[in-house]
Amino acid sequence: MKSSSIKTKCSYIIMGLGQFLYGQRIKGLLYMGILGLYLWYLFTSGIGDMTGFFTLGTVEADPWLGTEGDDSVIMMLRGILSFLILGAVIIFYLANIKDIKETERLAGSGKMLPSFYRSVLAFVDKKFYVVALFFPVIGVLIFNVLPIIFMILIAFTNYGGNIVPPKLIDWIGLDNFRQIFSLSGIKGTFVKILGWNITWAICATLLNYFGGLLLALLLNKRCVKGKAIWRAFPIIAYAVPGFITLLGFKFMFSYGGPINYYIKAMGGTSIGFLDIDAGWRARIIGLLVNAWISIPTSMLLATGILSNMNNELYEAASLDGAGRWKQFTNLTLPFVVFSTTPTLITSFVGNFNNFGVFYFLRGGLYLDDYFLASDTDLLINWLYNLSIDNNYYGIGAAVSLIIFIITSVISLTAYVNSSAFKKEDTFR
Amino acid sequence: MIRRKNRAGVVMLAMVLAGALTACGKSGATNNEASAEGGEITLRILENDTAKEKGYLDELLNAFNEAYKDKGIKAVDANMEEYSNLAENGPYGYGPDVIYQANDKLMAYAEDKHILALNREDFECADKIPEEAWNAFTLSVDGKQYTCGIPVNVQEPMLFYRKDLLPEGWESTNDSDSNGTPDFLEDWSSLYKYSEEIVNSSNGEKYGLVAPCNDLYMMAEFFFSYGGYVFGKGEDGTVNSEDIGFDKGDAAKGMMALRQFSGIMSEESLDDSIKQSRYSKVADGTYFCSISTPDTYVLFHDRLKEVYQNEGLSENEADEKATENLGMVELPSKMPSSGDLSSDEKDKDTIVMGGVNGYGISAYTENKEACIEFVNFATGYDMVAKRAELLGIAPTRSDVAGDIGGVTSMIFESLNEGHIYLMPSVKAVDQIWDPVGTLLSDVAKDAFREKKNEAVKYADENAMQTALESTSKSIYDAIYTLSN
Amino acid sequence: MKKEKISEVIITYLILIAVSLVFFFPVFWLILASFSSSGSIYDFDGFFPKSYSTATYVKLFSDTQMYDYPSWLRNTLFIAGFSCVISTILVILTAYTMSRFRFKMRKPLMKTTLILSMFPSFMGMTAVYLIMINFNMINNLWSLILIYSAGAPMGYLVQKGYFDTISNSIYEAARIDGATNPEIFWKVTLPLSKPILVYTALTSFAWPWSDFILPNMLLKNRDLWTVAVGLTHLGETEFSRFAAGAIFIAVPIVILYFSLSRFLVAGVSDGAVKQ
Repeated sequence: MKSSSIKTKCSYIIMGLGQFLYGQRIKGLLYMGILGLYLWYLFTSGIGDMTGFFTLGTVEADPWLGTEGDDSVIMMLRGILSFLILGAVIIFYLANIKDIKETERLAGSGKMLPSFYRSVLAFVDKKFYVVALFFPVIGVLIFNVLPIIFMILIAFTNYGGNIVPPKLIDWIGLDNFRQIFSLSGIKGTFVKILGWNITWAICATLLNYFGGLLLALLLNKRCVKGKAIWRAFPIIAYAVPGFITLLGFKFMFSYGGPINYYIKAMGGTSIGFLDIDAGWRARIIGLLVNAWISIPTSMLLATGILSNMNNELYEAASLDGAGRWKQFTNLTLPFVVFSTTPTLITSFVGNFNNFGVFYFLRGGLYLDDYFLASDTDLLINWLYNLSIDNNYYGIGAAVSLIIFIITSVISLTAYVNSSAFKKEDTFR
Repeated sequence: MIRRKNRAGVVMLAMVLAGALTACGKSGATNNEASAEGGEITLRILENDTAKEKGYLDELLNAFNEAYKDKGIKAVDANMEEYSNLAENGPYGYGPDVIYQANDKLMAYAEDKHILALNREDFECADKIPEEAWNAFTLSVDGKQYTCGIPVNVQEPMLFYRKDLLPEGWESTNDSDSNGTPDFLEDWSSLYKYSEEIVNSSNGEKYGLVAPCNDLYMMAEFFFSYGGYVFGKGEDGTVNSEDIGFDKGDAAKGMMALRQFSGIMSEESLDDSIKQSRYSKVADGTYFCSISTPDTYVLFHDRLKEVYQNEGLSENEADEKATENLGMVELPSKMPSSGDLSSDEKDKDTIVMGGVNGYGISAYTENKEACIEFVNFATGYDMVAKRAELLGIAPTRSDVAGDIGGVTSMIFESLNEGHIYLMPSVKAVDQIWDPVGTLLSDVAKDAFREKKNEAVKYADENAMQTALESTSKSIYDAIYTLSN
Repeated sequence: MKKEKISEVIITYLILIAVSLVFFFPVFWLILASFSSSGSIYDFDGFFPKSYSTATYVKLFSDTQMYDYPSWLRNTLFIAGFSCVISTILVILTAYTMSRFRFKMRKPLMKTTLILSMFPSFMGMTAVYLIMINFNMINNLWSLILIYSAGAPMGYLVQKGYFDTISNSIYEAARIDGATNPEIFWKVTLPLSKPILVYTALTSFAWPWSDFILPNMLLKNRDLWTVAVGLTHLGETEFSRFAAGAIFIAVPIVILYFSLSRFLVAGVSDGAVKQ
């Protein structure tokens, strides 16, 4: 930038001023407006929020004495928010620098600077993806990323046990992690639950996925009349909220439930399908119940995707004399698997973190060899017991961070190596 | 092209952020909705669902609003969930002003000062309420004692039975001390034997007592009567939650008794089925009796009434007949010290678990004085008597309890005589339910394992003691190992 | 394709009947329970109530002092309706963009969203609650719409998978005809994506419909509850009312399905826009 003019430099100091001086009034004003807004925020509450993030409060509230104290968790949240805002303003600033250089180049080469309206129109067309992704990204940032950052940070505090607001919370570094790895009970439980959790996630995902796919294929057969009606049965099952279904199934399998009623009526003795000794019996019931709940959705999805398949392929294949099974393995399966690999992964993740099934079917049991968990509990149920039932937010957050790292490594590797990610254009 | 990439995006982000900022700035100030509008004070009262359902809350609010019309105080229903957590809502201005909950809940708030410490002298009911009940609402901070709630009523598990199903001529066969009460309502051994009789004579179709075996609240007598306890007391009389007492005393004997009894119960006692089925099964006579809290009287009653109505009685007749035939008494008051229910011993007093419900005043209220007025009004003789009448509760006010008499005064007496072990008023109580509940269902299940010839876990007292110790330890771990 | 043999047709139907039974029976049992004349489920002979009446439904809508079901239903419809529309737009837009365009941040974004979705959601609940307190949006139905819609784009992968199977030549043709990108999305993509639109709309309608953790946390007032929250607070002997409430909230979803079902199979290959 040998010849960077004085106008350009203005934008380095006050963002938008340069653009304004070059004659791009609206754009310049907008940039300056952002800067003004940010400065106003910074001096009204921004600075306080940022320092609060590090101190997490200094005055303890005492409702009895009417002392208004600091609320550590709120301060942490506002602190994170203030840094996110700072990040956003820095991005604006960098954009402003890029923009002023471009403007200078245009002005220097003597071209007409585009009007604000026209540049916006051109932008919407050429950078459609920015416009389209803008709101989703903002939404996800505030309601997904922010809470996750918050939770991750909680793992490094002493939040929990006796230390809950109005008491002040403090940063304690890695102490929570040290504690997890030093307690044998926790480690043992963690390993056991992780093993079952992975088994569960794989079985449940495959069961739901292929169950849905087969059902969709069955319904797609030519000979089936009244497809919409047949399809409605799973949909009705899907329409009943999941937790109600789960409570219903819990009752069905309970000692006083209808299944045991018929067993007894036929002269058998009651079976504890979900009781303390149930173990694998309860696990399998969990898998089946989960399949009952999830297959309708995966059937719906498979139906949608199958309808997108080119029928000519089949016709060609059947002219070639390919058998039904061959058609399925060579045509249908690759196509469906391709377009649903991401779904498989999301469904794996969903099942891995499937809180409801065992919470409703078999909650509230703490078995002998487990620390605050039962043999059907998944990691997420254990987390719930730790952090909600027993108030160990910090430890819970630390455990969830560990789980989070493990699962994201697994699924990210799977995803990045999948054909859906590598060769997105296969079926185009 | 790339140069222009961020322009429009940037503008929109600014708008959104600006929106977020203003929203943020605003919120701090407007959190507490002003409750004093135009000089009138509005109090938000959180009562329990039964009080609402049976119309007691309406009566209370109307009576209060009538009486305090001139003082400009108005009480309204907080319109929230009965168990809503003050610690979660209060600090942000969403909690009620006055809250009616059980002592363990209220005192957990008190530990973090979410409810106010009160002066007993401010309340007219103060000297009518026994010290036992006050203790449930006493918090000690730095050696000082604070009262944080006003007791209203005592809860303890009760035995619900069918008077019309008593064996014929029980006065001669089942009343050894001829005091007019059948033996099996007086001691556990007789109840066991009577239950066994019913099961055998009906070929396993009918049962004597079927109780929720996995519910600590209902089954705690098998710990407490034998010297077990929840938390110990420190030297200064405060609760010491490091001392967990489920394995203390002869608790193992008590557990063997429970194991024995559950063997002649229906399997429904093992899971949550019993918590709903008891009403129907007592009504249709499958169970002779079951255990529940007094506030469920109406559920037993309604179900029984329905049965009579289906038999062709008119509504009034059925209602009367149900009232006549449904008995609610305290649990049998004696237990065998050996823990063997088939023996004839009746030498141990039964001690059950109980709780005291009461009013607390949110520390976040802006009208402390008005709240005190309200609580005073609600704990006055008239309102408590009305409460007892409409909801069938057992008041902690001695005068009301005395005037009502019957079961109500019996419960009151039990509290006075120490036959009710009140849930300790500390937060750590939250962490006992699931571990002990699991143990209880395991012990009860063990009896059924034996029947099915499966491997038994608790063949003798030693095995039981080991299990109790490990449960106590895991409660300790849950409370302490992780806290910093 | 060749016609199936008779035996195969029979087997197909047998399987279909079995599967339908498996799916329908528990629901049917709930329906029966809702018509049981006694509230308790323990008065049943196995799966069947001893006597039937419609009293529960009458009670459900008239006895609103404790359990204001009509209000809950209104609230739920409001929340689910708005979140369904907003989420569907956002998800389709996201999925289409991620599938069709190639830009620098694309792969990182894809990986990030995948990782984000791995985080156990209830661990972030405290933060969501605090955010809503900060924004002063407790006891406000819009707060739920905001959260559901904002979180929806995270689930774009399914829809992206669908868009990945639409041929690029369709877009290129439109591009040559001079259409701008917004126009292509509106006039070409949307008509092509009916099945996946239906799927998205249904699932995003059903999610708020059955969720009770978030509304339970954010809606304190009883008359602002959603059906799911309300049902979990029903008294323990109110099973038939519980069942009736559950059945009743399934109805809108079934209606939605039937009114949208013809689009479900109207895929690209069946559509008019064959390449």
